[in-house]
Amino acid sequence: MAVALMLPLLYVTFSALTADPAIWRRLWTTRVPELFFNTISLSLGVAVINLTLGISLAWILTRYAFLGSKVWDWLLILPLSIPSYVLAYTYTYLLKRGGALEHAWQTIAGPEAGLFSPFSFTGAVLVLALNTFPFVYLLARSAFKNFNVSFEEVARTTGANRVTTFFRVSLPLIRPSLIAGLFLAILYVASDFGAVSLLRFQTFTYAVYQQMTGRFDNTAAACLSLVLVACAFVFLFGERWFRQRSRFYQTTGRYRKPVPQPCGSLSTLLFTGYLLLVFGAAFGLPVLLLIQWTARAASAGDITHQFFGYVWNSVSLSGLTATAAVICGIPLAYLACRRRTWVGTFCVQGAYTGYVLPGPVAALAVLVLVSQTVPQLYGTILVLLMAYLVHFLPAALQGMESTLQQLTPNLEEAARSLGARSLRTFFQVTLPLVRGGFLSAWILVFVQCMKELPASLLLRPVGFDTLAVRIWLEASEELYQLAAPPALLIVVITIPVVLLLMRKDQT
Amino acid sequence: MKILQSTIHDSLSHIVLLFAVVVPLSLPTWSYGDDTLVVYSGRAERLIQPAIEAFQAESGIHVQMLTADSTALINRLRMEGERTPADVLITNDAGTLERARELQLLQPATVSDLEKTIPSRFRAPDNSWIGLSGRVWVVVYNTTMTRPGAISSILDLAGPQWKGKIAIPSAGSVYLQTGVSVIRALQGDEITTRFLRGLKENAGAFVYGKNRQIVAAVARGEVAAGLVNHYYINRHLAKHPDAPIAPLLTDQGDQGMGVVLNAAGAGITAHTKHLAQAQALIRFLISPKGQQTFADVNKEYPLNPHVTAAPELLPLQSFQVASVPLSRLAQLRDPTMTVIEDVGLR
Repeated sequence: MAVALMLPLLYVTFSALTADPAIWRRLWTTRVPELFFNTISLSLGVAVINLTLGISLAWILTRYAFLGSKVWDWLLILPLSIPSYVLAYTYTYLLKRGGALEHAWQTIAGPEAGLFSPFSFTGAVLVLALNTFPFVYLLARSAFKNFNVSFEEVARTTGANRVTTFFRVSLPLIRPSLIAGLFLAILYVASDFGAVSLLRFQTFTYAVYQQMTGRFDNTAAACLSLVLVACAFVFLFGERWFRQRSRFYQTTGRYRKPVPQPCGSLSTLLFTGYLLLVFGAAFGLPVLLLIQWTARAASAGDITHQFFGYVWNSVSLSGLTATAAVICGIPLAYLACRRRTWVGTFCVQGAYTGYVLPGPVAALAVLVLVSQTVPQLYGTILVLLMAYLVHFLPAALQGMESTLQQLTPNLEEAARSLGARSLRTFFQVTLPLVRGGFLSAWILVFVQCMKELPASLLLRPVGFDTLAVRIWLEASEELYQLAAPPALLIVVITIPVVLLLMRKDQT
Repeated sequence: MKILQSTIHDSLSHIVLLFAVVVPLSLPTWSYGDDTLVVYSGRAERLIQPAIEAFQAESGIHVQMLTADSTALINRLRMEGERTPADVLITNDAGTLERARELQLLQPATVSDLEKTIPSRFRAPDNSWIGLSGRVWVVVYNTTMTRPGAISSILDLAGPQWKGKIAIPSAGSVYLQTGVSVIRALQGDEITTRFLRGLKENAGAFVYGKNRQIVAAVARGEVAAGLVNHYYINRHLAKHPDAPIAPLLTDQGDQGMGVVLNAAGAGITAHTKHLAQAQALIRFLISPKGQQTFADVNKEYPLNPHVTAAPELLPLQSFQVASVPLSRLAQLRDPTMTVIEDVGLR
């Protein structure tokens, strides 16, 4: 099972390493430097904005109490429910020449003032930062919440002012959470396909897709994939290493929780304005646009029976994948928690390789594997299912593993000692107890599949356009109104899931 | 309250559980029907949909389309081999169709009157693919920013006076690949490379995946000129009659190499299981009725000489076309891609 999950990656590696050296040379001299530069600068740009937004928002909401601060706590998670390509396409509309934002800007800065194009570095950074800042915000928030205020008080009594205390004491102490949030965001940016493809910003992930669809063989795509995957591995190990080095411990003394200060009407106004701005840009405005376009599409009769066909395709395929992921995940999660052997660890780690595969690479990997081994499967729904599994099983596995870990083996052992066979033990003892955790794993995979774009684009069978594929096809023709209904539907489905996962996170 | 919540939570989880089991079970019953004609299409959906819908209405044959990049569709056909569900391949570029023919993915079409309807230069020698509509690669310019006399050859756009003033298609665009193939065939690699370097330098960030976006950028005055297929200009003008844009046919006159003319076309796949219906579709697409949709809706040149192009277009016979046969485009393609990538166009 785990080997099957690793095979695609091995195949890509193999075809990249056996590629004609001329292809490598050409890629290395023409494409790779630019792609490196673009991918890294995009990640850094997003990282800087994420840090600024994440820290400031978390600070305001954990240290101050004002009207509505509890509500904002929830609202700031919502941007996670918008897929990157949906945000990108609303911004191509908002930022276009003569568009709404330019008009607004010109009334402030004079009639000649222009805004940056969405199809630029700045545009890509803005869209992806607005899409990912909640990662940093969430981790910074929980760090600030569990913060021991004594440290700050010591700094203040020794004469440091507020600003120095913030930068010299508070920030360094929550560094591990910030780094974790940043790593998440950067991994997301580097593997994003939807936003960069609509904004035509050349990153590694996008280049893999372009090589696959613009060339008559997949070798160059495999080469670029290999470089990308190698970078991702280095990055992941770097993260782990960094986490191990920087741990902070509360040694002695008392722990005092921060108490939010009540604030006056002026600061309430300022804070609310700032929060509104960020929330509006990342969620409010795009969703309002989607609602408006959907209403227009509905009244123009653009929502036909075909639309419901796409809904059914997406829902059934995502449901199938989620069920398959949970079923495949059960033995793997078992191996990880109950039988710690060398083989078991190897299998589980193998299953996690899907994490470092961006969508187009996962699709390419499955494609190459299938065409070399069982070409009969190509063009069927099974290939798409396989790509989804390679890509999303790790997410399911992580949730299932931690659920199973919380269950003490004593219960199972008791059942076994009372004479139940292992299958019966599993169904009557283990399963009822871990049902909740497995269910959230199922939901998580379901939602990820609903949003999945690159593999669906590349591997969908005839007549199996999903909602995400339709959004992308219509949006890349700038047919905003036609792309809106499926986009809005995906957002609406994702919102409760995001909130659900966050609630679990908090308790 | 707590009890209520937990009941809701419980029943919710039951619903999800039911769903998780039922949906996958019902999936295998899904199919698009045995008598459906499957079309792989590399054209933008809204440019081919009108013709397909007219065909469905007339023949009663149901058509299922799969839209993707032309090259990706060829890769797909190759991989599917004889198991392919596709009956007809439609692309926006004759070079891709010829490549499909070389790879033996298509079969000669036997449609009555084909020879009389479509001129031979717009067909494969063995009728494996048939050109349906013609498009000319032209310069679109902003009439308030530049005058037509400033450009006589397409190669002029590489000059330093155009820095920051032109918009070009991305390297993945088959129009660009075809255009560059023709220039390479007539002018050689060295001139072509110099031309592409100049284009890259001059276009800067104005590199677009879609012709529509280039025309829109020129109309808004973001750039003075751009390289597009002619009908995108006419389509834009049909919607915005006051837009300050106009087409410019380059490389005319005695010394000129002529403009690049390409054809969108179709072919019947080698392994179709619906030969009669596939032939019916081809017959419809070359018939006056089918050709009229390309002329009226798309503003392309219908290749059936009995159908007239939209009145705002210059007649196809009235200008000089580059003398590279469409069927040569396939073999020119791969070296062209290498030149394009060596220059580093995006």
